[in-house]
This record gives sequence, structure tokens and C-alpha cells, in this order.
Amino acid sequence: MENNKKFLRTLLAAAVTTTLCSQALADNAEPIKVGVMLPFSGIYAALGDAGRNGLKLALQEHADDLHGRQIEFIEMDTEAKPEKAPEIASSLLDQHHSDFIIGPVHSGVAMGMIKVLKDKDTIMIIPNAGANAATGPLCAPNIFRTSFSMWQPSYPMGRVALDSAYKRVVTMSWNYGAGRESLEAFEEAFTAGGGKIVKQIMVPFPKTEFQSYLSEIGSINPDAVFVFFAGGGAVKFVKDYDALGLKGKIPLLGSGFLTEGTTSAQGPSAEGIRTTLHYADGLDNEVNTKFRQDYRQMFGKEADIYAVQGYDAGLLIAKAVDKLGGDISDRAALIKAMESTKLLSPRGEVSFSKAHNPIQNIYLREVVDGVNKVMDVPAAKLEDPARGCKL
Amino acid sequence: MLFNKRTERYFVWVFFPLALLMPLFLEQNTFYVSKLTTVMIFAIFVMSLDYLVGRCGLITLGHAMFYGLGGYIFVMIAPEYEAVNFWIYTFYICAIAAAVALVIGFLVLRTSGIYMIMITLAFAQMAYYFFSDSLDFGGNDGVFIYVKPDTSIFGLSLFDLENPVHFYYLCLLSLFNTLFFFRLVTRSRFGRVIDSIHENPGRTTALGYNIFLFRLMAYTLASALGAYAGYLFTLQYGFVNPSMLAWTTSGSALVMSILGGIGTLYGAILGTLVYEGLHFSLEHLTEHWLLFMGALIILMVILFKNGIAGYLENLLERR
Amino acid sequence: MTTSLFFVQLINGLQYGLLLFLIASGLTLVFGVMGILNLAHGSMYMVGAYLAWYFVQQTDSFTLSALISAIIALLIGIVVERTLIQRLYRRNHLDQVLLTIGMIFVFNALQSILWGNDPLGVQVPEAMSAAIPLTEVVEYPVYRIFVALVCVAIAAVMYFMINRTRLGMLIRAGESNREMVECLGIDISRLYTIVFAIGVMLAAVAGVIAAPMSSIVPGMGEHVLIACFVVVVIGGMGSIKGAFIGALLVGLVDTFASVLLPQLSSMMIYILMAFILLIKPQGLFSS
Repeated sequence: MENNKKFLRTLLAAAVTTTLCSQALADNAEPIKVGVMLPFSGIYAALGDAGRNGLKLALQEHADDLHGRQIEFIEMDTEAKPEKAPEIASSLLDQHHSDFIIGPVHSGVAMGMIKVLKDKDTIMIIPNAGANAATGPLCAPNIFRTSFSMWQPSYPMGRVALDSAYKRVVTMSWNYGAGRESLEAFEEAFTAGGGKIVKQIMVPFPKTEFQSYLSEIGSINPDAVFVFFAGGGAVKFVKDYDALGLKGKIPLLGSGFLTEGTTSAQGPSAEGIRTTLHYADGLDNEVNTKFRQDYRQMFGKEADIYAVQGYDAGLLIAKAVDKLGGDISDRAALIKAMESTKLLSPRGEVSFSKAHNPIQNIYLREVVDGVNKVMDVPAAKLEDPARGCKL
Repeated sequence: MLFNKRTERYFVWVFFPLALLMPLFLEQNTFYVSKLTTVMIFAIFVMSLDYLVGRCGLITLGHAMFYGLGGYIFVMIAPEYEAVNFWIYTFYICAIAAAVALVIGFLVLRTSGIYMIMITLAFAQMAYYFFSDSLDFGGNDGVFIYVKPDTSIFGLSLFDLENPVHFYYLCLLSLFNTLFFFRLVTRSRFGRVIDSIHENPGRTTALGYNIFLFRLMAYTLASALGAYAGYLFTLQYGFVNPSMLAWTTSGSALVMSILGGIGTLYGAILGTLVYEGLHFSLEHLTEHWLLFMGALIILMVILFKNGIAGYLENLLERR
Repeated sequence: MTTSLFFVQLINGLQYGLLLFLIASGLTLVFGVMGILNLAHGSMYMVGAYLAWYFVQQTDSFTLSALISAIIALLIGIVVERTLIQRLYRRNHLDQVLLTIGMIFVFNALQSILWGNDPLGVQVPEAMSAAIPLTEVVEYPVYRIFVALVCVAIAAVMYFMINRTRLGMLIRAGESNREMVECLGIDISRLYTIVFAIGVMLAAVAGVIAAPMSSIVPGMGEHVLIACFVVVVIGGMGSIKGAFIGALLVGLVDTFASVLLPQLSSMMIYILMAFILLIKPQGLFSS
């Protein structure tokens, strides 16, 4: 028994030492280093996986644009934990000298990342986190976003609600930055046209027991309900909304994340829900059709907005590298090249605002047979107002 | 002698000199310096928990509350764009944290065993939700610290906190001081009463000691040091987040202290080093690092009955 | 609040509480009889949900899926007890904490490997997809009533088992005085295996029947774990009756607080627990 323990321990120590040493030795100057910090475990793991898949697909498809340079991926699991963000970001920057750092999903992690990476010698591309601040008060020349700001997908829904003659609306979301910003954007547009927010329900994050709140909504009986929920919470909310009988009686509107990557889990409860988002799986254009097909073939599952955003991050890198002929050592030139890039994204054409946020169409979608079909384009080439950004 | 166990002396004489020289070997690589700094800061926190759980027998799942408070108190009292004095603010933060600990301890120390675990957890959760739901302190996304304190005493600047190597030495110094301090405490009369309370509360009371008061003192002490660790953590990257207060942070610290060897104090440093080291290397090896991490933890619990320090002591302390 | 809304919230609170009881009952049973604090209890809830999803995919029958999942959970419980938990009996609570945390990691990693990280859903079985109208707008799903009834039924079965059967007698005896039971010639280790397996199965069954009402995501185990602990501590460690009352209390307080005191609602169950512990430091019905 003694010998077993000793053996195991020595083995362990040897393994640890070897791996630690291997970290110090691995390093070469030739490939373009793309650091990826996304959640690969925990509640946001599906979003992290999709983003990484999209990123890799784009860089693989556009390998020719890289002028012979290889891509070296350095992937680190953030576990969607904000307290790990500065450490992981500084690892990708200081240890691995990443040229690009792609991440994160979670806005709290984004804050931690920005603290470390702002104005440093690397380009940070956000493939999801929508915190308004990233392209607002905290904007910086080396921070780009290929996803959205929380304001963007929700703002046009205010107009849609007014056009549908809704006067009294209840809004609901989790009580955190992303939720608040989303509801505020809807409220901004809705109240500007004379609508009234009868009640705003903030659920402690990440609670998914919605019964009591839904019962209250049933009692208030508004003209419509606007919500922001994503991932597992979105699945439960939509199912509970239906189960309690509110579906069909009180129209449910949402920021598109409500039905992104969740429709198969939500089943028939998702049918007929209208949402606004900068993408729709049913979007009918060449790029999207090809993208969805390639994604399905390569990864065996359906692409969603998180994959598209990751894909566009890859596209952005490829296009910028192409413009500079493969030499990205001049960061200022790289930033200029990225700023002027127009992406032919599966979501439509995307360009970047001064604050480095995408200028994009927002689509009104409705779930038909488990697919988000595009009904209308309530806002074309919508630019986030970037309040507080000094760029 | 202060470090009376041979193993502990060996550890101190190996670890601290190595740690002192480390930045010289890693000059180009500030990442490893920063990573070690983070590990050392957490080791301070784990040590304070180890003292509470291992020496005093007070098992708490809410210790991370003070860790988070260390950062949040700083955010609350320090001006946003002005560099304050590091030493003075250390005093403020520890004092405020101690005051909070006195109140919480007063309520919590009446319970014992599983109930103490739960009620300390309850308070930590309340603190977590307080900061997470608050709009004033950044809410769930956390808040930045824009200006780091200045460490001069009487005008003589000691460490530049923006410099990772300086900050590393500050944290190393803090770690050593914490171990030294806890050793002094355990060897003092106060410490011996605490040991006696841990071993046999009934008899100690019979001897006339007010065990509640002694426990309260120990709790306050450990909490103030936990807050100091949190303060250092916040200063490293200038970022405070409610997750610092989460029960999972307390849980991680507990895991590291048990792994290292509960009650040994220097075991806390060992446990933190090994746990973080394993996490780091496994993450780089495989995407399914969590599986191996879990399996290794299970193996270590079964094989090392008194933690890693226990195992080492078994090897080295035999006549 | 109107009377009809109050009535609806009352039902919500009770139903939530009953489900919490089902999950927590296994935890308190294991602790009460064996003195083991199983932090991986929430993971078994998760395992139940994922197994339910998997077998519904394979067999298209919810009932069949539920049965298979329960049996697998029982087997997992037996295996885990024999290989890992057995080694903890002479060790202290802290080692149990550490080992069961290691188990949480392993379960979470396996979940990610076997079933992936996408949110999954199970549809409510056809037979119970109707709803009872409560107000003009709100209707109450029959399935939730079914879940509540199942929880009550299981509570009744547990009561019967513990108070009226030989196994229950052994459980109660083992709770009070383990050594004496051993001296009387009872194979205590086999008893422990059975108790642990039942405890774990209860959590998994809760996961199975809750699956159509919840979203199946990574981390769902840790989510319920805390609520579970609060319930068990309020009720008194080891007391099934306590867990029942505690769970109903937590369910009701959480539901009503969320609509009456939204600013405090996240902290409410902890305030409740702290309050109860300050008056009755051992919980409501401690053994």
C-alpha cells in the first residue's frame, strides 16, 4: 500500500512537472496566434462550443486569405467565471503572445477581459457578450465585437410592439447587466411611441423558477409580454409560459435569444413566438444556406447565432490578414484594416461602427415548425448609439 | 522554535527561497509571475480558512464572504481616481472586515457542526445577492478599480503595484507573514486555549474560559486576514466581482485546505499549489480536464488520509 | 393581490415545495442514517434528468424511460456506495465533503462527454398534457398536479416504510445507535448500501419527473443543491418529516417572496433559515 501511494504520487509529480515544462518550451513566431477564451464547461458551454466551431469553420474555409500563414489556436475554458477572466486573458496575452483573443460569452467575463486587454498589443474580438459598455464607455481601438450590443436586438421590438397596437406591456428578465440593458432598450423605443410598461419583473439571476412571476403576469393581463432569457432559462420560460396557459392569450415577444438554439428543447411551446435578432436560422440568402450546410456537415448539429458570431470573428480575421498581405505586425494598420472591413456574414452584410460594434440588420422572426422564419426587417443597418464611447 | 515540525521547516526552507528566486528565472514571462501571485493570494485566504476549520474546529462555508468584502470595501471607501496609501487602506479594510466578522460571528458561533456550515453559507449567500443585485457596485458584472494604491511609507515608495514583479514580492511577503503570524498565534497562550477548545470544549469551559469569546476572536482574526487576501486579489487586476463571495469560492478553498492537510497551516499553501497546478496543467492537456481533476481528488482523499502535509509528515517525521 | 392570484401562488408554492421535498428526502435520509454528507446529491438529480431525456429519445415512452432511469440510478447508488462511500465511514465530515466534491466534478464531466452541453427538453407525456383553467387567463397544467401527487405518494410510502416495516426499523435503529445495531448481528454495511442507493434514487426520480417541467442543462445539479441543504437544515438533519415541512416552507416562502418582496426575494430562503436556526439551532424536528 505504501509503495502504491508513493508510486502514484511520483507519477503525478512527474506528470505535472512535464506538462508545466512543456508549456514553457512550446513557442514559435510563424503562425498567427488566436487565443480563444470561451466557456467549454458549465451552463454556457453550448454557446462556447458553437462560437469555437464557427470560428474554426471560417478560418478553415478562408485559409487562402491568410497568405500562407498558419493559425495556432490556444483554447482556454473560462467556465463563464468572471473572476478567472483577468488571469486567462493575461495568460493569452503575456504567455502565449496571442495576436487575436476571441471571447467571451458572458458579459461579466468580458469586463474582466477588457480590464486586462484594453489598449494592449493584441486584438480582442468579442463573439457574444453584449454588454453595452464594451462598445460604450469602455471602448478601445483594439476591442472589436462581431456579435451585438444588448441594445441592438431589443430596440426594434419596441416599434414592432407599437405597430401591433399593444399599449400595456410587462417586461421580464434576469436581474443582471444583459437583462437590464435589453429591457431598457425595448422600453426606450416602446415608451417613445406612447406605450406603457405596466410592470418590470426582474428575476434574481440565475433563478429559473418562473411559476410565481408567470402567475402574476396572468393576473395583470397585459397586451403583451417582452422578455430577455437565453439558453436553459429560455427553454424553461417558454415551456412554463405555455404550460400555464398564457400562450395564445397574451402574446409573447422577446429578444431573439429566447428562441436561439433552444427550439428543439422547447418543442411545440415555441411555435408562433415573435422575436427580434440580428440573425434567423431561416434567413434566405446564399451565404447563410451554404454556412448552415457546411456547419451541419462538419459538426453534426444545427448552427445558431452563437456559431454565426464566431464565424464572423473568423471572417474578420481572415479578411484583415488578407488586406495586409499576411503581415499583421503593425497593429495600427491591422486595426484600420479591420475597421474598414465589410463582412459577408450569414446574417447579411455587416460593417463596423466607430465604436467597433457591428452595423447590421435586425430581423423580426417567428417560430414556424421549430425554425425562426424571417417575417420582416424592422431595422436595417442598425447602429448602436455607443453612448459614452470616445472613439 | 517557531516551526516545530520537521516537515514544516523543510517546506518553509524549500518553498520560500524558491519563490524568492522564481521571478529571476522567469524574467521574460510575466505571465507565470502573475499566475503564481494569484495562487499565493488565494493561499493566504485558504490558510485563514484552514486556521478556522483545522485549528479552531469551526467549519464555515461562508468564508468567501470576507474574501469578497476585501475587494468591495475598497471599492466603497477608496476614491475612484486617486491613489490612496496601500498600508492605511489595508488597516481600514481589515478593521471594517473585523467589525463585520464580530457581528456575524456573534450570531453564527452559537451553532455547531452542520448547522454552522449552513448558517455561514446563508450569510455569504445574502452578501452575494446583495452585491449581485446592486446597481451601485456594478451588479453581477462587477466593477473596475482604476487607480491602484501607492505603497509609500513616509514618502519612501516601496512597491510599484503596477509592476507584476513588485506585486509578486508584496504577495510573497504577505504569504510568509501570514504563516508566521498564524504560527505565533498557535504557539501563544491564546492559541493553546483555542487548541484546548477544539479538543474538549466541555473541559475548557470547566476550567473557566469563555469559549464563545475565544472563538469569536479567532473568527474575527481569520476573517480579517481573509479580507486582506481578497483586497490583494482585487488589486492584482483591478477587478471586483460578486463571484468572489460565492459559495463555490468557499468550497474551493475548503477543498484546497483539506487536500493540503487540514489544520497544518503550511498545508494550505501546499494544497493551493497542488490544486491550482493540477488544474492548470490538466486544462492544457485535455478538454475533459474536469473528469481527471475529479478523479484525482477522489484518489487523493482515499490515499492521503491527512492530506498532502499528512503524507509528507508520515514520511519525514519518523524516527 | 387578488384572492384568485393568492390561490394560484399557493398552489405554485406547494408544488415547488413538494418537488424540493422529493429531492431533499434522499439527502436527509443518507445523512440521518449514515452520517454522510453527500454533496453530489444534486448531481444525481441531474443524472436522473439526463437519463430521462436519453431514454425518451430511445423508447419514446416516458413511463418506460422513468422506470429504466430509476433502476440505473439505484445501480449507480449501489456501485458508488460500495467503491467510494464505504471508505468514508470512519473519516470525518471534511473528507466526505472533499470526496463528494470530486464526485460532482466527475459527474459533470461525464454529462458533458455523454450528452453534450446543449439545453435539452423532454415533452410532457400526451396523457397529461391537459390543463385546468383557474382564471380567465391562467390555467394549471395537469402534469404539475401529477408531480405533486407523486411527491405526496412517495412521502407516504417513505413514512410507511420507515415506521411500519422491518427495514424502516433498522433505519431508525441505525440512526440512533450504529454500534448497537451491529452488535445485534445486523449486517450494517448492507443496510447502508440499501439506504444510500434509495437516497440517490430518490434524487434521480425527482430529476426524471421534473424533466418535462425544467430545462436540462449543465450545472442543474448545483443549482438545486443549495435549496436542498436549506430544506434539510430547516427541517432538521435526518428527519424526513422535517424535510417535508421544511420543503413546503421553503417553497411557499420563495414563491410569495418573489412577488411580494422582489428586492429581497433572492435572499429570502436564507433569511428564513437563519431565523429558524436562531430559534431552534437544531432545525425544526431534529432526531
